[in-house]
Amino acid sequence: MKNDNLKIAVYICHCGGNISDVIDVKRVSQELATYPNVVIGKEYAFMCSSTGQDMVIEDIVKSGINRVVIAACSPALHEATFRGALKRAGINQYLYEHVNIREQASWVHKKDKEGATLKAIALVKAAVEKMARQDELNTIKVPTTQRVAIIGGGIAGMRAAISSAAAGLDVVLIEKQSHLGGKLKRSSAIYPTNETAASVVETLEGLIELNAKIKVFCNAKISSISGFAGNFQINFEFDEAKTEKVEAGVIIIATGFDHYKPYEGEYAYGLSNRVVTLPVFIDIMGTSAEKKLIYDGKTINRIVFVHCVGSRQIDGIDNAQDNGKVNDYCSRVCCSSALFTINKLKDKYPDVDVMDIYSDMRSYGMEHETYYENASKKDILFLRRPLEERPTITPLPDGTFSVKTVDVLTWNEELELIADMIVLVTGMIPNEITDLLEYMKIPRSSDGFIQEVHPKLRPVESANKGIYIAGTALGPMDIIETLQASNTASSKAVALLSQPEIHMDPFVAVVEEDKCSGCGLCPQECSYEGALCMRETDVNGNVKMVASVNQALCVGCGACVAVCPTRAINVAGWTLDQFDAMVEAIAKG
Amino acid sequence: MTQITNNITDVLVIGSGIAGLQSALDIGDSGYNVTIIEKSPSTGGKMISLSKVFPTLDCASCITTPKMAAVLHHPKVKTMTYTEVKAIRKISDGFEVDVEKKPRYVIEEECISCKKCEEACPVYLDDEFEYGLGVKKAISIPFTNAIPQLPVLTESKCIRCGACAKACPKDCIDFLQEPVSMTIKAKAIIAATGYEIVPMGTKKEYSGDTLLNVISSLQSERLLAPHGPYGKVLRPSDGKIPDNIAYVQCASSRDKSIDVPYCSRVCCMYAIKQAMLLAGALPLAEITIYYMDIRAFGKGYEQFYAQARAMGICFVKAKVAKISEDTEHNPILRIDRQEDGSKPQDQTHDLVILSQGILPTRKDFFGLDVALNEYGFIQSAAPTLSPALTNIDGFFVCGVARGPKDIPDTIMEAGSAAMEAVNYIKGKM
Repeated sequence: MKNDNLKIAVYICHCGGNISDVIDVKRVSQELATYPNVVIGKEYAFMCSSTGQDMVIEDIVKSGINRVVIAACSPALHEATFRGALKRAGINQYLYEHVNIREQASWVHKKDKEGATLKAIALVKAAVEKMARQDELNTIKVPTTQRVAIIGGGIAGMRAAISSAAAGLDVVLIEKQSHLGGKLKRSSAIYPTNETAASVVETLEGLIELNAKIKVFCNAKISSISGFAGNFQINFEFDEAKTEKVEAGVIIIATGFDHYKPYEGEYAYGLSNRVVTLPVFIDIMGTSAEKKLIYDGKTINRIVFVHCVGSRQIDGIDNAQDNGKVNDYCSRVCCSSALFTINKLKDKYPDVDVMDIYSDMRSYGMEHETYYENASKKDILFLRRPLEERPTITPLPDGTFSVKTVDVLTWNEELELIADMIVLVTGMIPNEITDLLEYMKIPRSSDGFIQEVHPKLRPVESANKGIYIAGTALGPMDIIETLQASNTASSKAVALLSQPEIHMDPFVAVVEEDKCSGCGLCPQECSYEGALCMRETDVNGNVKMVASVNQALCVGCGACVAVCPTRAINVAGWTLDQFDAMVEAIAKG
Repeated sequence: MTQITNNITDVLVIGSGIAGLQSALDIGDSGYNVTIIEKSPSTGGKMISLSKVFPTLDCASCITTPKMAAVLHHPKVKTMTYTEVKAIRKISDGFEVDVEKKPRYVIEEECISCKKCEEACPVYLDDEFEYGLGVKKAISIPFTNAIPQLPVLTESKCIRCGACAKACPKDCIDFLQEPVSMTIKAKAIIAATGYEIVPMGTKKEYSGDTLLNVISSLQSERLLAPHGPYGKVLRPSDGKIPDNIAYVQCASSRDKSIDVPYCSRVCCMYAIKQAMLLAGALPLAEITIYYMDIRAFGKGYEQFYAQARAMGICFVKAKVAKISEDTEHNPILRIDRQEDGSKPQDQTHDLVILSQGILPTRKDFFGLDVALNEYGFIQSAAPTLSPALTNIDGFFVCGVARGPKDIPDTIMEAGSAAMEAVNYIKGKM
C-alpha cells in the first residue's frame, strides 16, 4: 500500500549497546528507509535522550513527517516519552508506534545476532504497516465527581476519610455496624504505644466529627454499586428503612478482617470454656481482678499459648476451610501480639506460668524483638514445634488440659505439659464481603483477601480503576501499617480526582454503525458491565438496533471484535485491518 | 563555586530510591511541585541494583526503570542527581535547603550519552554499583539503565590523559567543572533516605571482610542480576561455578553484640528468593539456609517459603558461630544445629552469603533536630494517627528511613508521606 500523503519516519535506538550489541541497527534502519511510505530511516544511541527527541521533533517540523515509528525498549518505559515529543512537534500523539526490540529481540536472542536482526526488521515493518493505517485519535475525557465513598468505618476507613477530606474532597463513610472503630473499639492496650485501642479510635472519631466534609452513615447495608472511575453510584440502606444513593469519583474499600474462629475440637476449642482465642483472652485479662487471674470459676496458674491457629496451615495436615482451601498464609501480627500480651499477663500476674508453642517467632517489627526478649526474661517457656507437627490438647477430668507437643529446642522430644487454660493465637481471615466484591468486580487473591493490581508496586490499587483498598481488607497488617495503607489509598484518590476530568487512552471499541447487523453477539462477550449494549439508533435515516459502546467503561480488550461477523466493531488504534497488515508484514519478513 | 538561589518547590524529597520515587510521583500526581535531591549520579536507589523481587519474581530493573522514567518525565517533578544536601534550616513558612551539585566533569546539556568517553578511558576502577565485584572506567555511565544517562568522571582516579575529551563527539568533557551550590525553598520535606547494609566486617566471627568467598546479600543480588558483573553466578576467589552454597541468616540482625538487636525484616525473604534463583541458575547446586526463625510474614510470603521448600532448598535451624576457610578458600561454617541435637560441627561450602542486616543511611539530618528511635531510624511522632509525621513540623518520613521494611511496605509509606505532605501544604494555604 503506497499512499503519497503518508510520511513515516523510522528510528532505531541503540539503547547504548543494549540493542546495538546484538542487532545490526544500521542494517535495520537502511532496510526500513526504502520501505513503502517511509521517508526517513535513522538509528541513534539513545532515542529517549533529549537529543534523540529533538531529532524526531525536527524531522516532523522540517520534513513534514506525519507518522513516527521508534524501535527501542519496552513501551512501558518510553512510549509516553515519544508521544510527548509528537505533541510538542504539533501532531497528534497517537500517530506513534513503539516497537520493543530490546526485551523482545536483543535481550532474548543474545546468541543469535542474525536472527535478532531479522526479527527486528520484521517487527518494525509491521509497525510501519500499522501506522500506515492509523488515524488521529483523541483522549477520552470523563468528568469526575469530587467525592470519595469509603466502605468500612474501622481505623482504615476513618484515616482515609480524614486524609481525603483534608485534601478537599467530600467524603461519605459507610459503616455496617452502629458505630465507627471496627475491631479496635475495645479497651485493651495496643503495641507499640501502649495506649488503649479505643483511644486510637476516639482520636480519629474526634477529627471526623469536626470535619464538615465527612458524612457518616452507620447501620448501612450496600445494595448496589455501579459506574466507573470518576463516576460511581452506591445505593445503600441505613438506620433500618432509610435509603441513600451516593455519587462518588473514587471508592476506598476498608472492610477490614475477621478473627479466625477455630472449629469445635480444634485444639480442644469448644470442649471447655477455658480454651479461648487470643482476642478473647485479651478482654478477659483486661477485666479480671488484680493479683489472681480467675476465669470460669477457677484460679488460672498455668497457661499454654498455641501460635498459628488458623494460619500457616498445610494441605493434608490441617482441615480445609469453608472455601475448600487451607489458610496457607501467615497472619503477620499474631506473634508480636501474643508476645505483647504475654508480657502484660506476666506484669499483672507474675505467678502465672506461661508456655508458648510456636514454629517461627515472627516478631519482625523494630520494637517487637524486645517483647520477645522481655518475655524470655520473664521465664516464659518457649517450645518450638516443627512446621508439620501439631500439638494435641486433651481436656482432663480434673478440668486441666494435657498438651503434647514435639519440641525442636529439646531435640524433637515429645513433651507433655499440663495447663489450666489454653490460649489459641488465632490469625486474621478476610471479612465476608462477597456481595461487595461482586458489585465492584474485584477479584480476591488466593488467600481470600482482596487482590491488588501489583503486589509489589501498586499494593493499594484494585483491578477496577478508581477503586482503592485500605488496611486489612488487603491482608493481615498491624495498626501502623493499616494507617499507612489508608493514607496511600487516599493519596491515590486525591491524585485521580485532582483534575476535573480523567483523561484516558482512546484505545476502546468503536462501532461502524452502517456495518453492524444488530446480531447482538458482542454484548454477550463483554466482561465489563455497561461497556457495550445494543441500542436503537438512527443510522442514515434507518432506525435499527446497533452495538453501542460506553467509552469510559470499555477497556479495549477486543472480546467483542472477535465475535463480530461483519467486522463492524474495532478497537481504535488496534483495528482488524491493522492487525491483518501487521501479520502479513511479519510473514513476509 | 557558583551560587544559584531562588529555587522554590512545594515538597523536597531527599532520596530517589523506590520510597523517594513513589512519594514524588504521588505528590506530583496530586498537582504539587516536587524536587528530588539524590546524592548518587542516578535515581533508583538500592532497588535498581537488585536481581528479582519476592514474591512475584519480577525483574527489579524492569519494574524500577518505569518508575525512574515516570519521575524523569513528570511535569511536576524535578530531579537533581549527584547532588548532596548540605544544610536544612526551618523557616516560618517551610524550609531552606542548601544543596551542592557535584561536578560530573561533563557538560550535561551537551552530552548525548554515546559512551565514547567510557570506551576511550584506559583507567579501570572497582565498580560500586557491583559492590566491588566488577570494574568500571574512570569516566563511565553509572550502570546500564541509569537515569540520567550521563557519565561521571572519578576525578581522584583520572590520569588526565585526555582520551575521553578526544573521543567525545560533542566536546563536552570539562575538567575544570566545579561544584554548584544552591538554596532551595520548600514548604515540606520528605526524608526517603533509605538504608545501608551492615558493613561486612562487623561481626568479627564471620570474617566477612576478609574471606574471599563470603559475600554480602547485595553482592549476591548482583551475581544473580540479568546484567550482573559476570553474566553468571561465579564465586569471587577463582571464578569457579559454586555447587554448595549457604546462606547465613541474621548475620548482622537480632544481634546485641553488634548493636543491631532488631529484625531487619527482609533478609529471610531475599535469602529464599536468591536461593530459588540460584536453584534455577545452577540446578545441581546444593543450597542451604541456616536460620533462627523464618519470618515470611507478608502477603504471599509464606506460600513462597513453602514453594522454596518444595524446590529442595535445604532449611536448617542453626546458629552459625564462626566462619573460617580451607586452603582452597572454601568457607567453613561452625554451626550449632537446633534440630538434631548434635554437637557443634563444621560444614564446608564453596560460597557463603551473609544475610546482612539494615542500618539507616543517615543519623543526622543536616542540622535539623529530627528525633530518632533508639536504633537510629527516624521516629514517628504519632504512630497510631499519622505514622509519616516526625517531631519537626512539615518534615515527613517514609520507607526504610523509618525502619527496615520491604518494597510493598515502603510503597505504602511513600504514599502515606505524600498524602501527609500534600495536606500539610494545603492546610498552610
